[in-house]
Amino acid sequence: MFRSRAYFWFVAPAIILMIVILIAPVFVAAVLSFSDYNLGNPDFNWVGFKNYAALMKYSSYKKMFTASLFYVFLVVPISVGLGLGAALLISTLRFGGELYKAVFFLPVMATLLAMAIVWEFALHPVVGVVNDVLRSGCDIGWLHSLLTSSWLGFDPAQSWYGNACADDFPLWLGDKRYALGTIAFIGIWQAFGFNMVLYLAGLTSVPRELYNAAHMDGADSAWERFKLVTWPMLGPTHVFVVTITSIRSFQVFDTVEALTRGGPSKSTYVMVYAMFEKGVKQNLLGVGSALTVVFLAFVLILTITQVWFVNRRVHYA
Amino acid sequence: MTAHTNSFGEFLKHVVLLFGAVIVLLPFYLMISYSLKSPAEIESNTGGLIGSQQIMTDRRCIKEGNPPEQCEMRPIVYNYTAAFKEAPLLRYMMNGVLVTVSIFLIQVVVALPCAYALAKLRFWGRDVVFGLVIFCLLIPVHAIALPLYIMLAKAGLTNTYAALVIPWTISVFGIFLMRQFFKTVPDDLIDAARMDGMSEFSIVWRVMLPTAIPALLAFGIFSIVAHWNDYYWPRVVITGDRDLMTPPLGLRMFKSDLDGNEYGPMMAATTVIVTPLVVAFLLAQRRFIEGITLTGMK
Repeated sequence: MFRSRAYFWFVAPAIILMIVILIAPVFVAAVLSFSDYNLGNPDFNWVGFKNYAALMKYSSYKKMFTASLFYVFLVVPISVGLGLGAALLISTLRFGGELYKAVFFLPVMATLLAMAIVWEFALHPVVGVVNDVLRSGCDIGWLHSLLTSSWLGFDPAQSWYGNACADDFPLWLGDKRYALGTIAFIGIWQAFGFNMVLYLAGLTSVPRELYNAAHMDGADSAWERFKLVTWPMLGPTHVFVVTITSIRSFQVFDTVEALTRGGPSKSTYVMVYAMFEKGVKQNLLGVGSALTVVFLAFVLILTITQVWFVNRRVHYA
Repeated sequence: MTAHTNSFGEFLKHVVLLFGAVIVLLPFYLMISYSLKSPAEIESNTGGLIGSQQIMTDRRCIKEGNPPEQCEMRPIVYNYTAAFKEAPLLRYMMNGVLVTVSIFLIQVVVALPCAYALAKLRFWGRDVVFGLVIFCLLIPVHAIALPLYIMLAKAGLTNTYAALVIPWTISVFGIFLMRQFFKTVPDDLIDAARMDGMSEFSIVWRVMLPTAIPALLAFGIFSIVAHWNDYYWPRVVITGDRDLMTPPLGLRMFKSDLDGNEYGPMMAATTVIVTPLVVAFLLAQRRFIEGITLTGMK
């Protein structure tokens, strides 16, 4: 009868699409990573591990791994920390919490590519607002002495701000010392509201009684209550937020492609951008596929670590 | 603790949060402000939020041989008309709507029956299929972009609407989410429908779909926001054909065409692209936050 077979028609399209669109590409990438395949040329050779060896050998790929890892190590702790901080402040506010929440969530919603372009204008070395504001701070005595620590008796010329005032402020995206940090700043700006929302959800699930119990045990200061109750009870949220932020920041592309194209001198040459440049722009699909495989391995390691943590460490209840 | 220290603490929290809010809102403020001001005001950072709105002359318009009096306009008019004229912004927006809506509809058509079967029907291999769904959840989209691009190129599909939509037709996350939701629907409801002689097919679309509206709404917000904002995939499969570009890709092309002096029109285009989602978010914050944090489960 039709009924007994209905499941087949319900499940088959999804299975076929999963296999063709999600699983087959992984194998295609794995196979092509051992070749010098390119589009437009029907012949290609098997080159063994040459593509992988290239990833180990050339300095541009070393710079790629450095840039990607550095970006992740900048964005993850700061955006998680800011997310947690914002959530803690907002959840204890008497009024206005909803408003801050909406404001901090705005960057998550807004088209990242578009906002990256706005940041690029804001960070423009000559006409940009950021350097404009920083420059005008140099002429305000108390601000200058605060930011250069000269009010503590330090020499202003020793500080970053004092130097920048005397000389000039950075080119930000155009300077290889600052470019990756600037891209990371935009990443943090975009991501921390997302983490904040996850932490706010986590905070509502901390039982009130635990705070009373901690109070009875003599945990009087807010810091002690945080250390004894809030932080450990947020365990599952921590694992979750850290993993998802790591995976996402590992996939950074939009800001790099639009603002720096991996430069200056490959300082922002992150993995997904390298994949795009080698595979799509330069039609070096063998190398691009090898990059894809390495990238996939990184992400799977992150995900498996998360699952392992969730199963092992964070069961308090 | 006294009330006095409490309100001082509250005050401090507001100071910190306000400082954060200023930084978060800075680019939004700049975007709107630049989209209203004249080139001179943008370059000198003067004019406050909306600029002086003095009549300016459109140099390009003069170059095209129009009489000068036709080329005089206020900066706000100049910026927004230029945005729609120089870049086919309307076309980009239409493409964006077409692509995001088709993706969402196909995702639902594929995922809903599958989720229903996984949640409510008993059949041989069900656990295997569910295992496959969970496995596919682990595959990050960026990792399969390159092989997918090769497959689409081999099929001659790059630079088509199909290329923009096909990779997203299957949402394993959607299947997973809907399955979890259908698990909570009482079996009695389905049995009653079967008693009434409904086919499994009409149970999916006439019984399960209406019960799933809240979950679908959250998933829809997630899907539409993700694909309206997506830049990576359109950048890979659309090369040069402007008629197919989605808003972020179109904006990127606009940026590379700039002769350096067109910040105003550029920011006007940015504002037009960012506004729909931001306004929708402000109108239905709770739903949006729910929908987007769903990715958390991914």
